[in-house]
Amino acid sequence: MRERFVQLFLLALRNLVGYPLRSFLTALGVVFGVGSVIAMMAIGAGMQETLLAEFGRLGLRNIIVNSKAPATKKKDAETNEWAFNRYGLTYRDERQVRETVPGLADVLPVHMRPELAWNGSKKVEATVYAVEPAHMAMFGLHVTRGRDLTEADSIALRRVCNVRASLFRELGVLEDPLGLDLLVGGEYYTVVGVLEDEPLLDFQRKALNVDSKSKEIYVPYQTVHERLGTHILKSRQGSREATDVQLSQLIVGVKSEDDVLLTVDMLQRVLSRNHEDEDYEVVVPLKELTLRRKTQEVLRYALVAIASISLLVGGIGIANIMLATVTERTREIGIRRALGARRRHIVAQFLTETTVISTLGGMLGVAVGYGMSHLLAAWTGWPAIIAPESILLAVSISMGTGVVSGLFPARRAALLDPIAALRHE
Amino acid sequence: MTVPVLALQAVTKAYGEGDARVEVLHGLDLEVRQGEFVAIMGPSGSGKSTLLNILGCLDRPSGGAYLLDGEDVARFPDDKLSLIRNGRIGFIFQSYNLIAQLTVLENVKVPLLYRARGHGGGGAKRAEELLATVGLSHRLTHRPSQLSGGECQRVAIARALINDPILILADEPTGNLDSKTGAEVLALLEGLHREGRTIVLITHDAAVARRAGRTVRLQDGRLKEAS
Repeated sequence: MRERFVQLFLLALRNLVGYPLRSFLTALGVVFGVGSVIAMMAIGAGMQETLLAEFGRLGLRNIIVNSKAPATKKKDAETNEWAFNRYGLTYRDERQVRETVPGLADVLPVHMRPELAWNGSKKVEATVYAVEPAHMAMFGLHVTRGRDLTEADSIALRRVCNVRASLFRELGVLEDPLGLDLLVGGEYYTVVGVLEDEPLLDFQRKALNVDSKSKEIYVPYQTVHERLGTHILKSRQGSREATDVQLSQLIVGVKSEDDVLLTVDMLQRVLSRNHEDEDYEVVVPLKELTLRRKTQEVLRYALVAIASISLLVGGIGIANIMLATVTERTREIGIRRALGARRRHIVAQFLTETTVISTLGGMLGVAVGYGMSHLLAAWTGWPAIIAPESILLAVSISMGTGVVSGLFPARRAALLDPIAALRHE
Repeated sequence: MTVPVLALQAVTKAYGEGDARVEVLHGLDLEVRQGEFVAIMGPSGSGKSTLLNILGCLDRPSGGAYLLDGEDVARFPDDKLSLIRNGRIGFIFQSYNLIAQLTVLENVKVPLLYRARGHGGGGAKRAEELLATVGLSHRLTHRPSQLSGGECQRVAIARALINDPILILADEPTGNLDSKTGAEVLALLEGLHREGRTIVLITHDAAVARRAGRTVRLQDGRLKEAS
């Protein structure tokens, strides 16, 4: 039985090698079909991975609550232009969240102030982020030089900061920025750490409410809280804006990812009691991820489906050539039948041939897919991830394609009348 | 008395249906015993090919019985007929019917591929022995296209013997050959006959038929024993 199979296999290989160009062209459809399936799967997986990594940086266990200016100003702010526009999250919110919502790992307050950073006579628009030291690690803000903000900075109300490297370029600081005293909003802050110059991704910016135009300066939360308070006065070219936002942002870390959605509900219930206006928004990275994942899943399946069509076309190509081959080899089929080949032997012979050709095509297709996905990755910037399963899948699909595309020609060959086939010229 | 190798009993063969029905063979009776060398002669159109197809189990008779080694194969299904063609019958065709892509040795081995499980007889080594007996040991890896007609027919004879058949069926084996190589092929067949093999030879050539021990004439779909 095994010997017979080996002989069939060798026979098939022989027929294929006998017509190398034809075999190659026949297999080409499968080569590109499998290649594009692999490439599409790799790109799809890469996109997924990127998404996961990006949201991973926001922290899937985090809930971010941002203060935002309500659609309508409060009455006193409207009538009296000297009054501060008061909105957003308050210390009370923070306290209530801490006290009433169970299962929280962290509650981190953030206060933001737009300020000008000065170096001599040069100035740059910057945003001061007053954050707890834990905030930096949570969002992957690592210093490349110097040190991180620490708990001690916070307790001692030190005027120290971590700054994006690009800020120094814009300020024209050529010397080592570490130890530099930066004038920010009327106060000097000593630079203790330089952050890598990697800009945040769009959705991260949006979720964390980071203005893309201004540079970030991170300072200890307590320092700002004690020294500057929460009033912000902006006057520029005659216009004047006075706001009072106690907390620009509240980052709520949940202990377990499973409880995130439940916690969001509780959080919203707590907050809605204190806020009649819509002056805050809740961003849930986990929710966003699920949403994006869904749309991407659809895209991914669509890509693979389109690629599969080319595989189908490849299969049809094999079937077509095989049908021609059956006609061409009618005489041989007749001889084999006369010498005692049963119908299933003829079926097996042709099926082996189509399977061998499509499997070889599939293997070549894996290589092509490998190349294609790296090319695409280089082009689009998405990483290409070729899972070992996808190679296995592609090769088995191409084997299946061979079997399916061989069925009809093989059947036709087997059903030939041996007498007529023998007479065939 | 032993069972005859083959026996035809009132075998008829008709093609077509209804009004278009044409009967080619009108009730043939024939017995061939073990070790006989029988020539079936007939002019073209006499139904020789039809008879050959039936004897070779490539086709089934429309009526009557065909006993091969005591078994009525007339109603056998396709798969069983294939097995009989493979194991019991050795074909020698006028046009050799070798497979062009295969070497001489591989051609001889083709019937081995389709053997029933548990079939006795030699394996791959037997193919080389048989090619040696027909004098082609030096041509094992040649293709049929590189051989002369006589050599091709000798390959076909070796192939016919590979599964040790009980009946050798030769259809105009010398039809495509010149008289000299034709004589060589006939000498080989006579040699097989002397070894005790049963041979049925179909021809329209009286000179060829004379080499057989017994000649049967097929005329207008009926068989007549010639003395």
